[in-house]
Amino acid sequence: MAESSGRLLVGTAKGAFLLELNGSGWSIDGPHFSGRSVYAMMLDRRAGRNRIWAAATSWHFGAELVFSDDGGKTWDMPEEMRIKFPEDTEKSLENIWQITAGAEDDTLYVGVAPAAIFESHDNGATWALNRGLWEHPHCKEWTPGFGGLAVHTIVTDNEDPNSLKIAISTGGVYQSANKGESWNVTNKGVKAYFLPDPYPEFGQCVHKIVRHPHDKDTFFLQNHHGVYRSRDGATTWEEIENGLPSNFGFGITATENGNVFIVPLKADGERFTCEGKLRVYRSGDEGDTWEPLTKGLPQDNAYEVILRDAMDSTGDEVYFGTKNGKLFGSRDNGDSWEMIQGSLPEINCVKAY
Amino acid sequence: MFKVFLSGHLKEFSGGRTEIELDAAPRTVGDALSSLWDEQGSLRDRILNEQGEIRQHVNIFYDGRDVKKLHGLSTAITKTEEIHIFNAVSGG
Repeated sequence: MAESSGRLLVGTAKGAFLLELNGSGWSIDGPHFSGRSVYAMMLDRRAGRNRIWAAATSWHFGAELVFSDDGGKTWDMPEEMRIKFPEDTEKSLENIWQITAGAEDDTLYVGVAPAAIFESHDNGATWALNRGLWEHPHCKEWTPGFGGLAVHTIVTDNEDPNSLKIAISTGGVYQSANKGESWNVTNKGVKAYFLPDPYPEFGQCVHKIVRHPHDKDTFFLQNHHGVYRSRDGATTWEEIENGLPSNFGFGITATENGNVFIVPLKADGERFTCEGKLRVYRSGDEGDTWEPLTKGLPQDNAYEVILRDAMDSTGDEVYFGTKNGKLFGSRDNGDSWEMIQGSLPEINCVKAY
Repeated sequence: MFKVFLSGHLKEFSGGRTEIELDAAPRTVGDALSSLWDEQGSLRDRILNEQGEIRQHVNIFYDGRDVKKLHGLSTAITKTEEIHIFNAVSGG
């Protein structure tokens, strides 16, 4: 079982914060990249490393991928940016949404806007556009949502380096069984209410997918309206909304004990917590039923939004951040919550280790 | 000497400088930038995107005018021997 090491990486609209749990509570260090928006972070502890990756985006001077090997004291920001679209694409990088470790120790993937994947097989020294996805015939037909057009989720398989599963807004779920050489679309059962055909082959606005911690073929999906489960490796999907106050939301996480957590939001037109109550919903039966969790969470005038990467877990601990800059955590499987920080900038991502 | 004035926001990429003198006689704004990259390479990716275009929220002024409204990087250097590079008034 993965044990928590009490470390949180928090990316906000105005910089990154590094938190550590020690004897007197949570220490906080930041903001790093002050004034820049940080949508993606990742701690790479493979092969003895202790490297923090971060995507620091200046709306003036561009998005760049940087790392620190000394716990954030210094950041490696090279003269030439690491992630650049090749000239023939006629595109330029807008934002970096996801940083994911591959199954092999030196492999890394990043998901970006416009929707594409870059990959490195030398621990980030060099990067290349994944041409298999970029040249997929659907690529030109994907369309941007409110947050842009991005590959925002990449799920790898520690036991199978050939397996990659991704989510695109708006495009849906795609997966590769050959390390990204080719990609199949796998949205069957996922609704796109905003299109003439509500169950198209692609074009869904999938907000997040996560894998079950122990059953590699079971996945959970938070859609732009709709919560789903797959039992066949993210290929086909069934609704799991029994007991939820709304099927809209962004973040979703599954803890080591198999519980699944989401925070439903009222609707896409409103995008805040239902009834002004901040309630996390937990499923202990893989989505068949859901129960609200409220202990330690504000239940009056709490109009919060939790973005797609702003919810994470490690072991059986769950953490999430809100657009209002509040950072919450539970160290007892969601039974009770504490507010760790209450006035950070808008929180884009939370990564727990 | 050709002079480049930089926004303070670019000091992180210019070795702390907001004025850089170039031993060059550029014919266009693009030529001036090429000489600037020779002097301070890390400015390039922050001012231009990977397609060689001036970033959307970066403005370059020659003779008091935004070169995006002239001929972009092809704008001819005919009058003053200086350009100014600013971040646009944008953000949240």
